[in-house]
Amino acid sequence: MAEAPGIDVDLSGPVSPPRDNGQVVFDAPWERRLFGLTLALCRSGVCDWETFRQSLIRHIADDAVRPYWRSWAAALEDVLAGSSVITHSELDARHLEMLNRPPGHDH
Amino acid sequence: MTDAAAQRVEALESLLVEKGIVDPAVVDKIIEHFEADVGPLNGAKVIARAWTDPAYRKRLLADATKAIAEFGFGGPEGQLIVAVENTPSVHNVVVCTLCSCYPWPVLGLPPSWYKSPEYRSRMVARPRTVLAEMGLELADDVRIRVWDSSADARYLVVPERPPGTDGLDETDLARLVSRDAMIGVARVRSPGETDG
Repeated sequence: MAEAPGIDVDLSGPVSPPRDNGQVVFDAPWERRLFGLTLALCRSGVCDWETFRQSLIRHIADDAVRPYWRSWAAALEDVLAGSSVITHSELDARHLEMLNRPPGHDH
Repeated sequence: MTDAAAQRVEALESLLVEKGIVDPAVVDKIIEHFEADVGPLNGAKVIARAWTDPAYRKRLLADATKAIAEFGFGGPEGQLIVAVENTPSVHNVVVCTLCSCYPWPVLGLPPSWYKSPEYRSRMVARPRTVLAEMGLELADDVRIRVWDSSADARYLVVPERPPGTDGLDETDLARLVSRDAMIGVARVRSPGETDG
């Protein structure tokens, strides 16, 4: 799980063909953000990838119709709460604050 | 509802940043990396080499993780990759019935349908039907092997080299290999053949 080399590769070159396969990986921006956050946490050792994966398996099994990235989010929340990095109540409070923001708050 | 989900992730990130646990710029770079650099083109290069270099093919089938690392591909979800080869009589297809295990270094991130409950359950129960629905009709005498990915093994299908490609070099061959062919839900196009 070392830092991947070549992160600053030129994107316009011949490296872009993944798009040729018509790949839609994320349906919403929050999904890609969530993915990036999870990987960042695993790379820096805050989360253990395998612990997260097992949590994801459990959440998917718990609710087969829940959209995939929702299960992912719940899995990450549990792992972070389990290691006391971010508690559920802390997150609930911050989430509530954000939901109560006036419209047009964009920063 | 999606807004609530989006704001929950935003809330999570804001707490992580506030506590100094996560650097948003690092998150940006990781996303960029996975979207731009890690994708099926990596796998296509591996397959093209396996088609043109019998010794490499042997190494790939013996220890795919190692053979793939010869290209410098590796990283998360890249341990224990197993290559399975299609032949005229055997067709391989990959699924992850538990979650979404997938060989990221060679295929990038899995497409939405790969993670859907329908694909995960039906591909195991009725592979021939599901493949036909996805546009891949196989002759009755072709045996289908369904590989269930897990933490112990993530599979990469080595498709058959299509006819009419004798004059092509590795680079041209790689262009023919699609992500879906390496999951086993599509055939490799012959040169000049268009999608669909």
